[in-house]
Amino acid sequence: MTDKDRFYEGCGREGPIRCIFLSVFHPTAGPKIVCQVPYNYISKDTFESVSVYIIPKAQLQRSMLTVTVLGFKILGFPVKIDDKKYARNAYYFNLCFVCDAWARTVQYESVVRKFSDYLVAMEVESSFLSLQQDHSSENARLPKMLRQVMQDLNSHKMCTLTEGTMTTHFKVVRILQDPPPVLDHHVPIFTESPDLFQAEQWDLTTQKVLPYIDGFNHVAKIAAEADVENNLVKACLQNLVYYGVVSMIHIFQYSNVYATTPKIRKLAEDRRLQDECVRYVARCARQPPTFRDVFRVFCSMTRGTTVRDLCIRLSPHTLRINERKLVQFGLLEGFIRRIHKFPVGNVEKPDLQPTAPQSFNGLLSMDEYCCQYSLTTQKLEELIDREPNIMVIWK
Amino acid sequence: MEANPISVILVNSDSKGDRLLFRFPYAADSRHTGENCQQIRRRNPYAVTVTEDLLQTQPAQTSNIQQGRLTGFTDEVLSTLFAVKPELCERKFELKVNDVRFVGHPIQLPATSQSRSSLGGASGSKPDTPSHTTLINMVFALHATASHSIVKCYYDLSKRLGVALRHEEKRCSYVTQETKIMITAHDEFSTRQSECNIYGAESAFDLILHRSSLAKQLKGVFQDLIQTGLIKLRINNWLQVSFCLPQKVHQVHFHLKNFIIEPEAIDRCLQSLRPYHGLLLLVEPSELLESLPPDASPALVRLVQIHSPLKSLQTLSADADLTLAQVFQLTGHLVYWAKATIIYPLCESNVYVIAPDAPTDLGSPLVERFSEQFPGLCLFQTMSEFSQPTSIGQKVSPLLGSQALTQLIRTVVWMLRHRLLLQLHTYVYFMATSRWPHQEGSLPAGGEGSFHSTPEEQLSLGPTGTWSAGHARSDSDASSISDDIAVLRAEKQFQHRGSHHHQSAVLNSLSPNLDDGSTDGDKGNGLIPEELLADFSEAERVSILKIPAATNSDDLALLAKLYRSGYLRGQHHLEEIMYLENLRRSQLLQLLDKFRDVLVTCETEDPAIAIFYSHS
Repeated sequence: MTDKDRFYEGCGREGPIRCIFLSVFHPTAGPKIVCQVPYNYISKDTFESVSVYIIPKAQLQRSMLTVTVLGFKILGFPVKIDDKKYARNAYYFNLCFVCDAWARTVQYESVVRKFSDYLVAMEVESSFLSLQQDHSSENARLPKMLRQVMQDLNSHKMCTLTEGTMTTHFKVVRILQDPPPVLDHHVPIFTESPDLFQAEQWDLTTQKVLPYIDGFNHVAKIAAEADVENNLVKACLQNLVYYGVVSMIHIFQYSNVYATTPKIRKLAEDRRLQDECVRYVARCARQPPTFRDVFRVFCSMTRGTTVRDLCIRLSPHTLRINERKLVQFGLLEGFIRRIHKFPVGNVEKPDLQPTAPQSFNGLLSMDEYCCQYSLTTQKLEELIDREPNIMVIWK
Repeated sequence: MEANPISVILVNSDSKGDRLLFRFPYAADSRHTGENCQQIRRRNPYAVTVTEDLLQTQPAQTSNIQQGRLTGFTDEVLSTLFAVKPELCERKFELKVNDVRFVGHPIQLPATSQSRSSLGGASGSKPDTPSHTTLINMVFALHATASHSIVKCYYDLSKRLGVALRHEEKRCSYVTQETKIMITAHDEFSTRQSECNIYGAESAFDLILHRSSLAKQLKGVFQDLIQTGLIKLRINNWLQVSFCLPQKVHQVHFHLKNFIIEPEAIDRCLQSLRPYHGLLLLVEPSELLESLPPDASPALVRLVQIHSPLKSLQTLSADADLTLAQVFQLTGHLVYWAKATIIYPLCESNVYVIAPDAPTDLGSPLVERFSEQFPGLCLFQTMSEFSQPTSIGQKVSPLLGSQALTQLIRTVVWMLRHRLLLQLHTYVYFMATSRWPHQEGSLPAGGEGSFHSTPEEQLSLGPTGTWSAGHARSDSDASSISDDIAVLRAEKQFQHRGSHHHQSAVLNSLSPNLDDGSTDGDKGNGLIPEELLADFSEAERVSILKIPAATNSDDLALLAKLYRSGYLRGQHHLEEIMYLENLRRSQLLQLLDKFRDVLVTCETEDPAIAIFYSHS
């Protein structure tokens, strides 16, 4: 694959910082770049055509501006410091990061903002920016600082700057979509080995919750066992989902129904995945099942076939397969999908003191009703079977 | 939501400077918004304000969207931002300010052309100098979170409109006229505003909207983008501009709030289009034909007229007398504009289930529409019949009258149109032996023996309880029973399939004709099995030869051929193999049955079509 195929506008990849420059509004010469690392990455012509977005009108001060033109993506946070000591009673500057036009750059926005604030503080305290007329000279402090920030952020995603008595820390944080809300009947499961990340880093609630995450306990049970308030558990699990440490699956029941997805073909092709799968679903590590048996069990999952049916039919026990771990693996990798049952309709003669749901609007699955009314799946199914007006939709 | 524009802004710049000509929607207090919202966005009133703290004097702006409207920008700011330097013209312009992204395609117009043409066409033009050109930039303000493909579509729209405007400017200096109208309105308003509010107009934009046809069209564009995502207009009643925002069109059509179909996904689907696929119109053909412009391609009209969900693209191309490539292109066009979707042509062996994103909400508008279309039927009742994989053949019985059959097909088509049903295909994997032959060898004796001899293993199963009945039996003779059940099930399945294959003579004629030409199975007749099996590994050969059917060289040859062509790796569904190898379904099913010990079948949706469903 060539670079052109991989890096096009909209590919959604994050890109490195190509250049950092400081631009100021010169009282006579207008907007100009006073310091740039590496030198002349943004040419004078290019700068002139975009200077209106670098040093903008007063209304856009302290706004995050990103302009994509001529193959560059320039992020800036224009700042104005009012003071009588400056030539025009104000000092305008903008510290900009330059990336490739194809790159995603939201993750740098907070860093640019923080860096600007840092420079404002330095300027206010010691006129760090305005005193030094020639920032590009050999012993100037600023180019060194910019170079350090660029190198550290590109290689370590974080950077610590110390100038005199002021220290500041920058960190590039990945910006992801908000994870979906966590519900009572969801089951958290680690997507990577819990030994890989340090538990001490997490907050106290998370540290309390972490030991109960085993891929089988559901949220309400974890809350009860860890003695932590339910909503706190949910919030902390959602946080773990955001960082990709944990993934949410459903309670394992023998009455559950799963169906294969087109992703199953990945399993048939990828040898490494097969090995991993066989190791994961083995009843005991000493005697792993054959891959063919595992694959056969996966392929037998269709709508209308419960795990119980599968167990009777294929007897995973004798095939040395742990069916609970098999389902876990399939869900985590997306080979299978849970088929939910959605009851729709109303009960014929509603109870006056409802201990069970009386009407089903079709928005909640059986699991959710079970959780809400603390019913077993079996009981709810019996109830629905008795009612002629209620239809069950599997999807 | 994300696909909706926040605002559309028209800016021009010429020798007299830059000017915001029109914006829509325009806030009534647009003149003050800039200052106001700076004040409104005060921090916590109870917080202690440290006057010396310079960092805090001006709170950082974080949002420029208030109740879905653009705020924090005065007209002057916008016009300076969008009146770009000449070197940025004729290319994509993209600017993000806080949470708003502006995208446009600035174009340059030869400003002097108007005076010349009005003078009746003067001599050759002088070389262009910046002072002689006018710049027009039509900018759309979008949510910054909108995906890149949405931004790209809006850029495309801006470019199309810009090019149309330039043409009209050249033809009859349309832009100059409209600009003049707008500027006059602005001037008129600012002079009279001091006296009193005239015309009942609250801002200059009201006046402009009243007088300028271009402003009216921009307003129309904005409203169409929000409502349907489809734009069809004539600039200056002359040039047709049509545009489709696929993300929006597909969303509106299927009432899916949070699911966006990206144009790239549609492209991918079209790339995996095969001649055996079919076309399903999502709108009534008559409605579609009416909406076509008069100069629409006659090929498209013909295709729509002869279209049927029972025909494959290949049949369509023969019936419409078009080349297959042309049919593919027209199909791509219809799919992009959400006028059609790709299906496998309806036939009695098609297996359907409920789509994962089908609405099950009692209040869904589909419920009513379904009962309007099919009086006496309930949508959920009909849907629940497909809770488990069901083929049309299964639902057809000889007792069913022809009317009921048509009804059945109509309901299935209706549900496919609304993407309530999903078709499942059977994929075949060749999996002869385990990848660990040494373990496989030790399995019969050591493997199972060890299970019986470890008591804690058996004990651990006790408490789960749920399948104790079945388990008790399997403990005694585990392998044989499980095998028997598997065999029984497979047999049953195939009998089942076979039965509905013969059942419905009615549908047989409708099924996509995949020809009955005999295979070249007899080619392998004279060969000995070892030569046929050259492609298989040693272990695989052993397990194949163990199967009784392997003695039949025709069957073996067919298996070897399918294996060699790579059809047994789960990449091709049965229908595709049938099409590519010119086989009949029954032939293939027999083969699968005979070699079921080395073949694994799996039912899933076709990934090419699955992109139209969320959760896939």
